[in-house]
Amino acid sequence: MASRPLEVGASIPARAGIGLRAPHYRDVLDLLPRVGWLEVHSENYFGAGGRPLYYLERVRAQYPISLHGVGLSLGSTDALDLLHLSKLKELIDRIEPCFVSDHLAWSSVNGRYLNDLLPLPYTEEALAHFGRRVEQVQEFLGRKILVENPSSYLQYCESSIPEWEFLRAVAEITGCGILLDVNNVYVSAANHGFDARRYVDSIPARFVAEIHLAGFTRNVTNSGEILIDTHSKPVAEEVWPLYARVLDRIGEVPTLVEWDTDLPPLTRLVAEAHRADSVMEYRRARAA
Amino acid sequence: MPALRELQQALADAIFTREPARFAARVRSTGLPGAARLQVYQNNVFISLAQALADVYPVVERLVGEEFFHQSARAFIRRCPSRSGNLHDFGRELAMFLRGLPDARHLPYLGDVAALEWAYHEVFHAADAAPLDVERLAQVSEDAQDRLRFRLHPATRLVASGFPVLAIWEANLGDEPPGAQIDLDAGADYLLVARRDLDRVVQRLTQGEFALLAEIAGGATLARACDRATAADPATDIEAAVRRFVADRTIAGFHHF
Repeated sequence: MASRPLEVGASIPARAGIGLRAPHYRDVLDLLPRVGWLEVHSENYFGAGGRPLYYLERVRAQYPISLHGVGLSLGSTDALDLLHLSKLKELIDRIEPCFVSDHLAWSSVNGRYLNDLLPLPYTEEALAHFGRRVEQVQEFLGRKILVENPSSYLQYCESSIPEWEFLRAVAEITGCGILLDVNNVYVSAANHGFDARRYVDSIPARFVAEIHLAGFTRNVTNSGEILIDTHSKPVAEEVWPLYARVLDRIGEVPTLVEWDTDLPPLTRLVAEAHRADSVMEYRRARAA
Repeated sequence: MPALRELQQALADAIFTREPARFAARVRSTGLPGAARLQVYQNNVFISLAQALADVYPVVERLVGEEFFHQSARAFIRRCPSRSGNLHDFGRELAMFLRGLPDARHLPYLGDVAALEWAYHEVFHAADAAPLDVERLAQVSEDAQDRLRFRLHPATRLVASGFPVLAIWEANLGDEPPGAQIDLDAGADYLLVARRDLDRVVQRLTQGEFALLAEIAGGATLARACDRATAADPATDIEAAVRRFVADRTIAGFHHF
């Protein structure tokens, strides 16, 4: 457990946000779209200068920002990369984000990076290891992080704990928040044959600080079908009811629409975010 | 060895050696065979790393063609694997790798073009710096001047080549076919890659100016950098060069400990 209280970060509205990508920098500043917040990939701003940081600081002056990492390799059995962590901390000090997040995954071993989100075996050993790593990161950064469930395409024979129980245990042990990616739950459930509703129903509301929505791609091969989390499309129709189910149970949560491959025009991306807003508004109206 | 570490090493090996069968038995095959599931990760890893290289090295890709580039990228990923969780750090050694590639010998300038593209990439992400304080510089006492060392702006790189790499690079930046033939014997290029405000520039330097900046970058005193610049090219106007590099912020600081 962390030895001192951890700062959560600036507040963020329970509204939809969008991922900020370089081709949209100017449009976002010119149009100031009606979104509650924006999220960026932390590593794109580790350079500490030039065009990326110039635009991020200007966008930050208008919106809350969430820093989402893909490179901490939280689940790796290598030592944590202190240089990577230091750069993240510098960026946090500069941007003052509402959330800092990374994944329930690993991406390196023996110093060699695959730069992909590889799944962990869900075992007691991996749980103890992952919990320690999250604690180390939270200690270093002096704040809580959010851990996101990845899309996965394989399960190890040795896994003995369902992913949803593993994720919940990580939050219970470390005090971290959960970034619940509803699309990833849907994709993994389809790929492994478990019930997506059971997954989302078993994540306690108090842990869920943020939700991700994104589009996936259906790959059909000779040996069968697999869903791939490509972020290259609108959110799939099948994912919206799952999202509504999550909101019904845990209330409104800041929700990010990720669409960063085959990036659409900003207005199209914002429209997708407004659909998430309308799901939240519908709930609110019904409750009133 | 702890089971988790052993598993991570075994999976990484299976992905890098592109032999999924070695790991497939440890993966559940419900719905889809284990080997097909591993294939997804293998594809993701190689496609995203190769794409990262293509993003940094568009001109190299254009010079060798897409197929050769991707074939070389796959070999490079295994030979010089990524060492960072930040994908922007990946690919530094491509120039060296291409210089040693037998199949690329017919393009002797390829490694130098890659070095230019890597410099251009680094300058995009490099840190900002405040301009040099000219008033403080004017106050440096005469006896401290022997110890005076300039510091280059973090977004500054130097690239030298025996080939006209700037012309090659410029001719292959766009999608349109290159216009005039490039004379490979046109002489060496001494290049400064830098950021001016937010935009990147590549400028040709004289051999003397290049030597001056290379010495400064290496931490030499101004006196020594001047000697080297004059040795490289006796016609170098050192004072004019220093003034220009301070004015355009290539030189961004100094000290005289």
